[in-house]
Amino acid sequence: MGRFFVVAWLGFLLACGAVVTQTKFSADLSAFLPRSPTPAQQALVEQLKDGVVSRLVLAGIRGAPPGHLAQYNKALAAALRADARFAAVSNGEEVTQTKDRDFIFAHRYLLSPKLAPGYFEVPRLKASLENALELLSSEAGMLAKTLVASDPTGEVLRIAEALSGAGAPAMHAGVWSSRDLSYSLLLVQTRAAGFDMDAQQEAIAAIRQAFAKIAGEAGGGVRLDLAGPGVFSVLTRDVIKGDAERFALVASILVALMLWGILRSFRLLALGLLPVGSGLLAGIAAVSLFHGEVHGITLGFGATLIGESVDYAIYLLVQSEARVGERASLRRLWPMLRLGVLTSICGFSALFFSSFPGLAQLGLFSIAGLIAAVLVTRFVLPEFLPLGYRLSGTDKAGAYLYTWLGRARTLRPWLALGTGIAIAFLIHRSGNIWQDELASLSPVPLDAQKLDERLRGELGAPDVRYLIVVSAQDEQAVLEGSEAVAHSLDEAKRAGWIAGYDAPTQYLPSRKTQLARIASIPPAQVLQRNLQEALIGMPFEPQAFAPFVEEAAAAARMQPIERSALAGTQMALRYESLVLQRENQWFAMLPLTQVTDAARLSAQLAPMPNAQAVLLDLKHETDGMYRGYRQEIVLLSAAGAGIIVLLLAASLYSVKRALAVCLPIAMAVVLTIAALLWFKHTLTIFNLVGVLLVVAVGSNYALFFERGLKAGQDEESTAGRTTVSLLAATLSTVTGFGLLGFSQVPVLSAIGTVVGVGAILSLLCAAALSPEFAKKHA
Amino acid sequence: MMLFKRRAFIGSLAALAAAPLACFGAAEDFSVPVLMASLAQVRSARAHFVEKRYLSVLRKPVETMGVLLYEAPGRLEKLVQKPKPERMLLEGDVLTLETDNGRKRKTMSLAEIPQLAALVGALRGTLAGDMEMLARYFTVSLDGPQERWRLTLTPMESSSLVRFVRIFGAGVDLTAVEVHQRDGDRSVMLMKKN
Repeated sequence: MGRFFVVAWLGFLLACGAVVTQTKFSADLSAFLPRSPTPAQQALVEQLKDGVVSRLVLAGIRGAPPGHLAQYNKALAAALRADARFAAVSNGEEVTQTKDRDFIFAHRYLLSPKLAPGYFEVPRLKASLENALELLSSEAGMLAKTLVASDPTGEVLRIAEALSGAGAPAMHAGVWSSRDLSYSLLLVQTRAAGFDMDAQQEAIAAIRQAFAKIAGEAGGGVRLDLAGPGVFSVLTRDVIKGDAERFALVASILVALMLWGILRSFRLLALGLLPVGSGLLAGIAAVSLFHGEVHGITLGFGATLIGESVDYAIYLLVQSEARVGERASLRRLWPMLRLGVLTSICGFSALFFSSFPGLAQLGLFSIAGLIAAVLVTRFVLPEFLPLGYRLSGTDKAGAYLYTWLGRARTLRPWLALGTGIAIAFLIHRSGNIWQDELASLSPVPLDAQKLDERLRGELGAPDVRYLIVVSAQDEQAVLEGSEAVAHSLDEAKRAGWIAGYDAPTQYLPSRKTQLARIASIPPAQVLQRNLQEALIGMPFEPQAFAPFVEEAAAAARMQPIERSALAGTQMALRYESLVLQRENQWFAMLPLTQVTDAARLSAQLAPMPNAQAVLLDLKHETDGMYRGYRQEIVLLSAAGAGIIVLLLAASLYSVKRALAVCLPIAMAVVLTIAALLWFKHTLTIFNLVGVLLVVAVGSNYALFFERGLKAGQDEESTAGRTTVSLLAATLSTVTGFGLLGFSQVPVLSAIGTVVGVGAILSLLCAAALSPEFAKKHA
Repeated sequence: MMLFKRRAFIGSLAALAAAPLACFGAAEDFSVPVLMASLAQVRSARAHFVEKRYLSVLRKPVETMGVLLYEAPGRLEKLVQKPKPERMLLEGDVLTLETDNGRKRKTMSLAEIPQLAALVGALRGTLAGDMEMLARYFTVSLDGPQERWRLTLTPMESSSLVRFVRIFGAGVDLTAVEVHQRDGDRSVMLMKKN
């Protein structure tokens, strides 16, 4: 039978190994953001993942007088423009605007909202010419006059003005600048896709190198700040990778040192690590099979699995007292151990069922790992131990620790007082304990998020609180829908409900609209006749507008332009960030500025045949979304904790004993939350997940105190062994989770801190409240 | 036709100090550096202007009039009164254009508008007597005596829309500015001190 387990285990390891070698590891940021419930939010997240927006690097240069910053900016832009890894570098300089101007000029009659039947008839043409004359005699005339012959009706200026109204950045010394002049700004678009992390990393390094060269020549304290999705992905990947590697290494070393301290044998130490290794492999393989990929953060969580799964080996190696000729086994401890594993699974299940794909991975990883570790300890490990195995040399230390732990009883009044104060504090703070920003859940460090927000604001991305999202079956339908919405927005603007808006159709009108505009241009002879008539009584030269007639006639023969015609312009960037496709659905976004009457605006959105339009208040939506997720986690945690209590009660066959197990855990939880609130002021939902794990892990220890000590009470040496194994198990858990507390990844540190502190408090409370100790010392 | 208002006494003194030979009426000794040095002494000036623009698309020139204000070294303000009130302000590198009685305002950096940068640079460089700046962008030549000089500034950049700018003056006062563009259009601004 034993041979069978060993062979099955080896086969299992091979299978897991095979899966792991095929595993894709990711650092996708959105895994730890909640899955979005509404299509519009989903669209936003998708855009972040795949769209043009994901290829943007926002760059800000600071730390020198504004004029110097502008020079660094120009030098950096020139260097990056020469680099094939970048598709576009914009900094407000002439070079970047020429393309847009040429595009607008060439397509002015397709882009101008003025083009409608009657626009080139005599009366309106005459009015346009009067405007042109006024412009020529104004101070801007010097700038405008080069255009007048081709564009007397002023379409280019009108279009350009509308576009720059949509939040152009401030300028200083010829380049984009922050309003307070502390930053000189660039917008860089990488050629590589946003999800291609290696290419993103290379691109970011190239930007930094180019800047170092420029700033190095100049010297001084000039700094380059980078932000954007790609920068964050790479940053977080590095942080996560660093954390995962460091914590796994440190946890392994600490746990191995502890095992060595207890076991004093390399052979036993190696055996003790078998369940840990098997558990890690099984966890990774399970996540890989179930989720298709393994997130870096999940690997970071590996340290906790090391800390937890080594417990089983400790119980076996320390507590086993096989008789001569017998195999060591966990049989005596098995009911308790099984219960412990079950409570842990309950705890991690709450993670597994959560809507955060990342948390679900952590849950599955831990569940699979723990099951594999306990099974290996139960059925495989004994096969490698000598017959009659019994650890010697721990009895004396065990006896000492046992007495020492017994003294924890004297802490009872203090713990009671502390718990009382903690409860009072929690009641006092009960109104505002939650950190209510979605941003607090992001794996991106907070100051990086702040930098991104700042640069984004300065670069003139509209403040996206209010947004109209139009959805339809195809690109043309969504564009037509946007045009209808834009039409009612023009009215809203006149009514003063909004200050302005941006629409993708400013950059690319629908085919239908373009065709209508083309059709509204009269034939050349008619236009020429209208023009001649309009010119009567005006000081223009008769032949001055020959280019206009010629170019309008050419425009009348034009085909509608597609998205590809925008290539290489700033407008393409803008368009791509406002229109996106998700499976068979197309979305267009119209960001609004200064909304004063959202209710009437929303009522104004008339139903359309082929498209739907919704007014979104993003702040409202994200707040609501966060509350939804908090409720979900509260519910899952409560359910997890409830099931754990039920499990304990059912297996202990006694409400009194169940209470004896639960009371210390409850105290530990209250104390942990109070401490956390005291030092950190608010809780995130990841902290709550940590609390659930305290219940799951803490119940193991309380259980062992309640039962393990009872089982060993007839023999002093057994009690000592139990104490040693318990302390070692707690220590390893505290090590694993406590290490995570130092992680720079918010989700890991939020869980790690809580479980690290909670596990120590659980042990303390369990020891202090242990009825066995009380009996012994009575 | 005269002149920019100035602190006449100090201005004349400076001109004398900078060009001692001018006292002897030796026209040959009146040079660009001498003119620049005297212009650099002017701290502020104010003049009425009438500007005519001859554009190829128009049969007759467009005429505007108003007031010009200058404050050393870099502030130049053009207040148009007719045909429509407008205000153009150049301060340092930033050009502000106000129309519609200040209701519409546009701010540009000179670097954004190379079409105007040459012209603005020529006028302001001359007013400030900034020889170094002028020499960087223009070939400078001077004709005539001090009391009736003519400064011609030809942009070195061949892509400039301006063919040349010609500034007329008497002593430290500017009397006219002519801008000749590459496309044949030109403008003539006559100035008269208050």
